[in-house]
Amino acid sequence: MESNIPDFILFLGRFHPLVVHLPIGFLIFAFLLEIYGCWHRNPALTMVIGLALFGGAISALVASVLGYMLSLGGDYEQSMLDMHFWFGIVTTIVTFFAWAIYSGKFNVPKLKGLKFNMASLALVVLLVGVTGHYGGNLTHGSDYLIKYAPFGRTEKVVLPPIVKLEEAVVYDYLVNPILESKCIGCHSSNKKKGGLSFQDSVAFKKGGKNGDAFIAGNAAKSEMIKRVGLDPQHEDHMPPEGKTPLTDGEKLILSFWIDKANADFKVKLADLEIPEEITSIASNMLGFEDDTGISGIPLPKVEAVNVEILRDIEGAGFNIRELIFESGLYEVVLPPGSITSMDRGELEVKLEKLLPLKDNILWLSLKDNKVQDEHLTTIGQFVNLQKLEMGKNPITDVGIAKLTGIQNIAGLNLYQTKITASSFGNFLKMEGLERVYAWGTAITEDEAARFEEKESRPAIIMGM
Amino acid sequence: MCDRHDKLRSNNRNLQSIEKQWDRREFFKKTSLGLGAMALGALLQSEKLWSAVGPIADPNTSLNSFAKNKLGLPHHMPKAKRIVYLFQSGGPSQLDLFDYKPKLKDMFGQDLPDSIRAGQRLTGMSADQTAFPIAASTLNFKQYGESRAWVSEAMPYLSEIVDDLCFIKGMHTDAINHDPAITFFQTGSQQPGRPSIGSWISYGLGSDNDNLPTFISLVSKNGSGQPLYSRLWGNGFLPTEHQGVQFRSGKDPVLYLGDPENYDGKDRRQMLDYLKKLNGMAYDAFGDPEINARIAQYEMAYRMQTSVPEVTDTSDEPDYIFEMYGPDSRNPGTYAANCLMARKLLEKDVKFVQLYHQGWDQHGNCPGGVKYQSKNTDQGTAALIKDLKQRGMLEDTLVVWGGEFGRTVYSQGQLTETNYGRDHHPKAFTMFMAGAGVKPGFTYGETDDFSYNIIKDPVHTHDFQATLLHLFGIDHERLTFKHQGRRYRLTDVHGDVVKDILI
Repeated sequence: MESNIPDFILFLGRFHPLVVHLPIGFLIFAFLLEIYGCWHRNPALTMVIGLALFGGAISALVASVLGYMLSLGGDYEQSMLDMHFWFGIVTTIVTFFAWAIYSGKFNVPKLKGLKFNMASLALVVLLVGVTGHYGGNLTHGSDYLIKYAPFGRTEKVVLPPIVKLEEAVVYDYLVNPILESKCIGCHSSNKKKGGLSFQDSVAFKKGGKNGDAFIAGNAAKSEMIKRVGLDPQHEDHMPPEGKTPLTDGEKLILSFWIDKANADFKVKLADLEIPEEITSIASNMLGFEDDTGISGIPLPKVEAVNVEILRDIEGAGFNIRELIFESGLYEVVLPPGSITSMDRGELEVKLEKLLPLKDNILWLSLKDNKVQDEHLTTIGQFVNLQKLEMGKNPITDVGIAKLTGIQNIAGLNLYQTKITASSFGNFLKMEGLERVYAWGTAITEDEAARFEEKESRPAIIMGM
Repeated sequence: MCDRHDKLRSNNRNLQSIEKQWDRREFFKKTSLGLGAMALGALLQSEKLWSAVGPIADPNTSLNSFAKNKLGLPHHMPKAKRIVYLFQSGGPSQLDLFDYKPKLKDMFGQDLPDSIRAGQRLTGMSADQTAFPIAASTLNFKQYGESRAWVSEAMPYLSEIVDDLCFIKGMHTDAINHDPAITFFQTGSQQPGRPSIGSWISYGLGSDNDNLPTFISLVSKNGSGQPLYSRLWGNGFLPTEHQGVQFRSGKDPVLYLGDPENYDGKDRRQMLDYLKKLNGMAYDAFGDPEINARIAQYEMAYRMQTSVPEVTDTSDEPDYIFEMYGPDSRNPGTYAANCLMARKLLEKDVKFVQLYHQGWDQHGNCPGGVKYQSKNTDQGTAALIKDLKQRGMLEDTLVVWGGEFGRTVYSQGQLTETNYGRDHHPKAFTMFMAGAGVKPGFTYGETDDFSYNIIKDPVHTHDFQATLLHLFGIDHERLTFKHQGRRYRLTDVHGDVVKDILI
């Protein structure tokens, strides 16, 4: 989509925050003059107000168009953007009406006791305020305005860093962060929806209008667990419609705390028996390495990649696909048959282009591209590979020995290559390796069967 | 008219005045006023706003494959890269294939207990029957593989590979008649008009091979029965380039790829470039995204002139491959030949291949019908899965086998010792999946002794669709398209990912 919008439109769009202050100034000025006019009548004032309104209307129109251009660039939260968008349009239209009424171009039947000039101006100023507020929220975030307000501020407690998962206090490190991100918006000391506040342990234990939020040791009977587990369409579901619901992991953590930690506010993970599932969720929450294997092979954390490098790689004939949006993790495929000569240099040059991406590539396919043993020296550096397709290439056991540094690889496709059973030892060195595809190689059914009898992994998959 | 000119100029006076207008348009475009008008144009053109496809980029310089797209996909790590969906149209009888119910043998001819049917609606075809006599399958069942899965004698080839399959025995759907039920499975809605699963995936993930369509459907010629409509692989409200392209079931899967008589095709590229220019102007004038779709389709057709003959040519397949798929595989357009073709398309990274095989509608002569259908499909299905496996492609290719609903335990029409019919049954039926991210050698869900109601782990059509998208790295709740004022998704407002069948 982004590439769809001409740069020039986006360039103009960036002027929106600048231009948008013109109508704000004009219109508030017009409103102030109108109020002033209530005490000091002066025909010149009428003219000035009309001019200010006209200036406001025109600049509001320009600002709206620029704002729309800016929004095309994306980057904004949709629902808030919609509000700002429609309020902006309404403000512009109402301003034109106000100007039309003021300059007498548009006659409104007089109603007793209602001053149209004053009313329309007041409405305009109100709309400008609302629109401006939404705009400000879009730019700065919705907590920007009152973050340092003297009222309703909560002291941010900084948790001491921990080095081991077991040291984590269940409530402070796992439960409270969930409540803070999903619940406290409506259940704090400022805003006690249903009389319930999660501000601190005292308030939390007190419960709300419907009684206790939790029953220690019995998650299934606890009101808060019941509420988050309801059907999302249910009237009593928490968080209510439109708010981000709890993830399954978060629900499990809450239930674990109530059931296993007996809803104790001080207990540490070390004092409890922790199911694997909880270890996995907690590790991910707290940034520890998840070695339970439940959530699959842990994904490597990598730096974002420069678009120029990607462009360069695509130029060399590779297909690139990002595996998870904005993760910087890629699948790279060299379409089969891209390399037709046995000249090693041709492929080597291409492979070297991949080197800046060596940590980012998880899936790599070089099927049917005249890959030879020498090339595998380069590929051996791609240590984060999880899947490697090498089928239909003239590679031998010598080449496989160069891949043993790739520890996370799960699937290795070597069908119709020249490998033999001597590679079995090297397969075992790759600790993550689960499946080797060896149809059409020198490996015989017998050899594969004997290997599988002896070793628990990897499975050697042969032809049918 | 426009030979070797940069600007389009015709020698027709009437057209020249239009060309002048275009020149003026060019001028306005470069001024701020023109830009404002353009933005307003885009504003009124909200459909364009929500579509993922922008103006068609040259595939050689296109960065679509990795550039950030506004859809933000994939949402999570995918397991599947491509899929072949073997749609068994008509409603295969789970009772005669996979869902073994030995207790029924003793209940032969007895009336189905009311407590089992529980007032369930029936089709007009059997609702008026005075009795609902229980018909046990006359086919023999055996357990196979390490997973000890039950398979009937109708599927001898499939029974060899049960350890690669994941059976879902608790499938259920909302529709009770063919067309709404197939439409429901393929598009998530019983009413026509929504995009097919393949179109959603094409829209969400784009293409891995610019030379072939992302979504291809094949209908086998050796099955006949309830009709299939092209809307089943249609794009609905998604941009048209995401519709499935049907390959014909015959010797020439795509017609008119060759050059016509007396034309050598040398200047076709040039012709298409001019046509693209003209269409580009039409797009500037009207802003209809369908014009872009049309440009894309012309370009695709051009590339298919070379890519399709290449991929559909099976002459370099060795004999043992043909033998594996069975004798039918040498007869283009049959189910077995289509299975082989599917493998070749998947090898070329076509993302979604949809096979249809009709004729699974055994209202009468069920045992014979099921055997006949199985004979035409069993070997091809099993060979495809084996072939994908030996090439290592089952690692990231999802295979789905299933129909639109199941069949009743009671006989429609007369029940004899050797023969019976079965009516449509949406409340319980069996499907299986294999490959990418799905547990191999696994059976999920269970039906009661009558294969009438699900007693454990039901999977609704929408759950199946959610799971399918999940395997592609898509959160089914987040892949949406705004149309007629609301955001639509494949699973509408339903669907839960069936995590238990995933690795």
